[in-house]
Amino acid sequence: MRRELVGWGVFLVIAAALPALGVAGDRYLMFLANVMLMFMTLALSWDVVARTGQLSLAHGAFFGLGAYTVGIAYRSGHVPPLAGLLLAALVGGLVAIVLGVVTLRLRGIYFAIATLAFAEVLRTVALQLPDITGGNVGISMPPLFDGDRVLSYYLIGAVFVLALALSIWVRRSRMQYAVTAIRANETVAAVVGVNVVRTKVSLFAASAVLAALVGAFYMPFITHTDPADAFDTTRSVAALVFPIFGGLYTTIGPVVGTLLLRSLEEYLRVTPPWKDGYQVVYGLVIVVAVLFMPRGLVGLATERLRRSPWRSSK
Amino acid sequence: MEALPQTLLFGILRSGLYALTALGLAISLGVIGVVNFAHGEFVMIGAYIGFWSYLLMSGPLGLGPAVSPLVIVIGVPVSAVMLYLIAAGIFRVALKPVLRQPEINQMLLTFGLSIIAVNAMSIGFSPQARDANLAWRFDLIDLGFVNVTYSRVAGFAVSAVLVGATYVLLRRTRLGKQMRAVAQNRLGAQVIGIPVDRIYEIAFGLSAALGAAAGVMLLFQTQVSPYLGLSTLLKSFSIVVLAGLGNLTGVIWASLLLGIAEQVISQYVPNGSALRDGLFFVLIFVVLLARPTGLRR
Repeated sequence: MRRELVGWGVFLVIAAALPALGVAGDRYLMFLANVMLMFMTLALSWDVVARTGQLSLAHGAFFGLGAYTVGIAYRSGHVPPLAGLLLAALVGGLVAIVLGVVTLRLRGIYFAIATLAFAEVLRTVALQLPDITGGNVGISMPPLFDGDRVLSYYLIGAVFVLALALSIWVRRSRMQYAVTAIRANETVAAVVGVNVVRTKVSLFAASAVLAALVGAFYMPFITHTDPADAFDTTRSVAALVFPIFGGLYTTIGPVVGTLLLRSLEEYLRVTPPWKDGYQVVYGLVIVVAVLFMPRGLVGLATERLRRSPWRSSK
Repeated sequence: MEALPQTLLFGILRSGLYALTALGLAISLGVIGVVNFAHGEFVMIGAYIGFWSYLLMSGPLGLGPAVSPLVIVIGVPVSAVMLYLIAAGIFRVALKPVLRQPEINQMLLTFGLSIIAVNAMSIGFSPQARDANLAWRFDLIDLGFVNVTYSRVAGFAVSAVLVGATYVLLRRTRLGKQMRAVAQNRLGAQVIGIPVDRIYEIAFGLSAALGAAAGVMLLFQTQVSPYLGLSTLLKSFSIVVLAGLGNLTGVIWASLLLGIAEQVISQYVPNGSALRDGLFFVLIFVVLLARPTGLRR
C-alpha cells in the first residue's frame, strides 16, 4: 500500500516538474502533455466502470457532453470556463445516474448497448438543435488561460489526480471486495450483501463526471468543437483500449497504456499509409489483448517477475 | 402524400430489411449468447461485396438493364456465402476461445473486430461513400393508390423470403432443432450429443450471412461506406431489445413496429426526420424502463 502511494507520489512530482524541465518552451510537447493527461484520466475513469464487469461505450459521449455544456454555457450566458467545468461535472453525473439506473439493473449487455446508442443520440441531438448547439458549425470560445498551456496542464493535472485517487480508492477500500464480487457473479454478490445496483451506478456516475470534466477542459483548451468532433467515437475507443493494453482493473495499467499507445498514435497520425488508420491498430490491440493477454502489460510484467530467478520463492 | 395507407405500406416495406438484419443479430445473441458488436460490419462488408458484383456486372460484363435483378440473384447469395465463411473463420479463431470467459471480454472482442473491419475497409477502399446507380432504385411501380420504387419492393421481398426460410430452418429441420436446443440449454444439448461448438459456428455464420444479404439489398436504397455499420447495428439492437433478447419471433413484430413508427413520424410530425433518427434510442430506453424482457411474453 505505502509503496504504491510513494510510487504515485514520485510520478506526480515528476509530472508536476515537467514544465520546469524545459518542456514549457516547446508548445507542441506541452500540448502533448496536456493531451496525455486528458486521455489518462479518461482511461482511468473507464477502467473503474469495467471493474464492475460493465462495458461502457459512452465515455466519449460524456466527454462530448462536458465539452458542449461548457460551450453552451459560455455561448448563452458567458459562463467562464472554470465555472463551466463544475457545471459539466454536474450534468455528466446526473445524466449518468439516469442512464445507469435504467440500464444497470439489467444484464451487462443492455448497459453496453444503451451506452453505444446514447453516444450516437447525443451526436444527432447536437446536430439537430442548431439554435442551442450551433449545429454543424459547432461552438467556439476564447482559449483557456489565454492559451497558456502550462497553466492548463496543471488544471487537467488536478482532474487527473481526482481520477487517480478514485482508481486507487476503489482498489484499496472495501469497495474492492464489492466490485470484485459483482464482476465475478452479481447474484452471489447480492446474496453476500453487496448493493449491486447502487455500487454500479455510483461508480459509473463518478466515472462519467471525470469524463465530462475532461471534455469540459478540452473545449476551451482547443477553443472549438462541433458534433463530429465532440462525439467522435474514437475517444470512446481510446478510453477502453488504453486500459486493456496496459492492464485492466489496475491503476498503473491505464496510465502506462495511455503513454505507450497515445505516443504510437501520435507517430502513426503523421506516417503516410496510416493517418487515421491507426484505429486499426487499436482494434487489433483489443482483440489480441482479450485473446492472449487478458491482464495487459501489467499482467505480462507480474508474470515475468514471478518467474524471475532473482526473486526468492515464498 | 399524406394518405395513411401509403404511410403504412412504406413503413412495412421499410421494416423488411430491419427484420433481416436484426434476425441475424438475434440468432447470435439467442443461440450463442454473444452480443455481436461487429454485426453492422457484416452488413457493411456484405454491401461491399454486392457493390463489387455490381461494378463487375455493369462495367466489364456490360449487362446493362439486367444488372438490378442480377445483383439480387447472384450478388445476394455470393455475398451471403462469403460472409458465412468469414464469420465461421472468425468464430474458430477468435470467438470460441472467449465463450467461457466473462461477458465483458466477449463484448470487447466483437467491438474490437468491428473497429478493425471499419478502419481496414476505410484504408483499403477509401472512406468515401459510394453509390451503386442501380436502375431499380428509381423505377416506380404503380400500385393504383401509390407509387413505390422497385428497390423497396425488392428489399422487402428478399427479406421476407430469407426471414421465412430462416424460420423454416429453425422450426422444421434437424439443424434448427439442434440450434434451439443449444439456445435453451447448452449443457443439456451437449449431454444428448449435439456438437455444440459446431452449432455455434453455423449459427454465427448464418447470422453473418443474413446480415450480408441485407447489406446487398441496402445498395438499392443508400450509398455504401465503411461507416454504415453503426446505425444498422443500433437499429438492430433496438429491435432485438424490443423483441426481448434472443426472442426470434418477436423480431418480426418489433421490426414492423420500428418501421411503421419511423414512417409515421417522418410523415406526420413536423421536422420529424430528426426525431425519426433518434427513435430507436427512445424505443430502447422506454422498453428497458417498462418491460426489460421485451414486449411480447
